Amino acid sequence: MAGSDRADDRPDGRPSGEARRDGLEIVLTQVARGDHAAFRTVYDKAAPAVLGIVRRVLRDPAQSEEVMQEVLLEIWRTASRFDPSTGSAAAWIMTMAHRRAVDRVRSEQRAAEREVRAATASIAYDEVSDAALTSLEYQRVRHCLDGLTDLQREAVTLAYYRGYSYREVAQLLGVAVGTVKTRMRDGLIRLRDCLGVE
Amino acid sequence: MQARGSRLHTLVGAYVLDAVSEADRASFERHLPTCEQCQQDVRGLREAAARLGQAAAVSPRPELRDQTMRAAAMIRQQPPLVVSQKRQFPAGRRWQQVSRPTSAGARPWLARVALAAAVVLAITATVFGLHLSSMQGRLSAAEQRDAAIASVLGAHDATTLTAKVTTGGMATVVMSHRERALVFIAKGLTRLPAAQAYELWLMSPAGDTPAGMLPPARRGMSGPMVVNRLGSGEQLAMTVEPASGARQPTSVPVVLVTLGS
Repeated sequence: MAGSDRADDRPDGRPSGEARRDGLEIVLTQVARGDHAAFRTVYDKAAPAVLGIVRRVLRDPAQSEEVMQEVLLEIWRTASRFDPSTGSAAAWIMTMAHRRAVDRVRSEQRAAEREVRAATASIAYDEVSDAALTSLEYQRVRHCLDGLTDLQREAVTLAYYRGYSYREVAQLLGVAVGTVKTRMRDGLIRLRDCLGVE
Repeated sequence: MQARGSRLHTLVGAYVLDAVSEADRASFERHLPTCEQCQQDVRGLREAAARLGQAAAVSPRPELRDQTMRAAAMIRQQPPLVVSQKRQFPAGRRWQQVSRPTSAGARPWLARVALAAAVVLAITATVFGLHLSSMQGRLSAAEQRDAAIASVLGAHDATTLTAKVTTGGMATVVMSHRERALVFIAKGLTRLPAAQAYELWLMSPAGDTPAGMLPPARRGMSGPMVVNRLGSGEQLAMTVEPASGARQPTSVPVVLVTLGS
């Protein structure tokens, strides 16, 4: 399958892009031992990204702050459960944040059947704060997103930044459900490869 | 791959993006343990998705930080590291190998010896049911080690290296040339028989120096361990040795990390 080969097994033992870590893994082991100073470090490193993604999905600023704090406290509580063999600390945290935001949206949706808002993916990933726009990370991700096909980009960003399910994305874009699933996968693979190679 | 498996495999992107229904999520997660390719894909794609999230970062209002810290202080964590270590340590003996032989009076060396002694005391206390003030000693040793870890992680020149362990697992080293120290952590190491343990070494043309025995893994995670007084041109190696430790490596390193710049 395309993109299944990995670049993280370099024989010289030097880190590759994929395996790049920022020490958060080790700080988490300290958090697991109840170290409040370490938890402050985790907060400083992770809270902006957590709040960023939660706010993209939820929109409501007050609710977003609440969910951001829930996620941070979840990190505090379950730091001992973090398993580095399943990925980086950043991925663990962002997975938790995104899933919680999406779960919140879905539970509200069930309560009051949300109208599928007409939206376009270009808006979905262009709406960023001024601060984010100037960040190097944003520039790199933006560059890599530009390398996706339109459908891949729309499928990925509507799901990730808006919290839409693949069925909702299919309806919104007027394409088959199966097509959306493969575009999401292929888009993420292309993104991974683009971000990984530096 | 059978049809059902590949149908589920297609779902990997939507799964990572949380764009699946609960039923889809459940069936994908049932499939996951049987599909190594899917696990690898989930791992890689999650890193990519996380970058999308990080690109959207915004600064939280400053007061949220203290609020969160206060809330954390009131929340009970899942059991900390020391509990299962006490249970798993068969003896304190292996810790005698922790210190490096040379040196006079380097404080981090003391910290490690103190930690070793404290762990022995903690085990003794557990085994004999003694309730003693040595718990205080254990805490301060842990604090000293944490301080050593923090000084490496906080160093301006801290760099992270990762390497595959040939017998399974992944090693991560965060090192600082300025601090002449590194923090070692490993995950997913192959479990060894009770008579054996992983031992770290600093290897250089001048010879191999023991750099500590790795404590038993907890939830697949071994360490963190601090190794001090790094010289130039050294390599960090790990070998499988008798549980009591060895003076010189007796087997081929299962991981070798070049520390030079």
